[in-house]
Amino acid sequence: MNAASLPLLQNALTVGAILFSLGLVGILTRRNLIVMFLAAEMMLQGISVSLVAWSRYHGDFGGHVLVIFVLTVAACEAAVALVFVLQAFSRTGRLDAAAWQSLREATVGRTIDRELPAIDTVPPRFPTLTPAGVQPATDADDSLEREHV
Amino acid sequence: MNPAPLASGGLLAGAIVATAASLWMLLPNGRESVSTRRLGMLLGAAAMLAFVAAGRRLGGFGEEAVFLVVSLVAVVSAAATIVSRSPVYAAIWFALSLTGVAGVLLVLGAQFLGVATIVVYAGAILVMFLFVLMLAQPAGLAPYDRVSNEPFLAALAGAVLLGVLSLSIGRLSAGVPACCAAPARADAAAAGTADPPPADPPPAALAADPLAENHVARLGAELFGRHLVAVEAAGVLLLVALIGAIAVVSRGEEALAAEADAARAAAGRTAR
Repeated sequence: MNAASLPLLQNALTVGAILFSLGLVGILTRRNLIVMFLAAEMMLQGISVSLVAWSRYHGDFGGHVLVIFVLTVAACEAAVALVFVLQAFSRTGRLDAAAWQSLREATVGRTIDRELPAIDTVPPRFPTLTPAGVQPATDADDSLEREHV
Repeated sequence: MNPAPLASGGLLAGAIVATAASLWMLLPNGRESVSTRRLGMLLGAAAMLAFVAAGRRLGGFGEEAVFLVVSLVAVVSAAATIVSRSPVYAAIWFALSLTGVAGVLLVLGAQFLGVATIVVYAGAILVMFLFVLMLAQPAGLAPYDRVSNEPFLAALAGAVLLGVLSLSIGRLSAGVPACCAAPARADAAAAGTADPPPADPPPAALAADPLAENHVARLGAELFGRHLVAVEAAGVLLLVALIGAIAVVSRGEEALAAEADAARAAAGRTAR
């Protein structure tokens, strides 16, 4: 609209570009299907920021309307994609994109997992209290619960 | 005036290179060296500082500070999303990034979209992601969360994309496009002063947002006026996605009948 709002446009476009690039890096590198979808959504966020910035600059509602449609399509995409991820998980038991590497191009090399170090993080040290009283009977359900996710 | 863009360009290039390097160090690589990750975090912080220094001054301390804080929240938590080992942490970092993005949208004057982003993304989509994660994620870190495909090349690709984008963003000039000059000129003509505005006004304060008054009412009028057909198409798309998702995830009547038969047989066996 005018020269005074140009710095705001450029800063907002830079933020959108950074978000888009981070999403690109995420979707290229990560192997977890869910994290790949999070990265795709992040690219959509970058696009939304850029569209709204242009909308502010031009004083026009076109960018806002387009972002509303981006939200709609993202909701549809998430629903359908999560169903496919669940189907893929029930077939392979993993959320791993490399579990489907038989679908790759003939010229692309096979992903080979190397041996990873046994433990990668230091286990958290929780404060301990001095045991007192009678030890309660253990619950049978405890063994079925997960330790952490 | 001339050296300033040059220095800013150098700063921006350094920021992009530092971003790529810190992403490469932070991405899961199977080795989990703490010192590498610390170095990556330091480089990332330096990159953020350089981005802030290379950014244009907005004029008006309050607006600039708010924009700085919300965009830093958005960008830093976005980076944390893609480098998190645990996908649950990645989803929660993504929620924080969404709140930052909603703040950026609010600063840009998109009140409805800022709130809609939080409601739709953080309220609905992200919770769905978390449900699937809780259903499908094994205990502990899976091996495929601890390695990544080609982190160096991907960080390089991101840096190249970011460099090209910020180059073209930096080249934007204040030239008023033909489409948008009309109302301002009409106002000036109505006021009887045909003088064009000064070419380079000092960045004292941001211009008032032309979309601010009656924002939601005008947005709704635009949406259901010019874009009514697109709204209908989006509604159909939502319905199709809903039906498609149910159709894909359901197992069909034969499988359900077979399961029911098996359950009945098992119940009969235990009764006998």
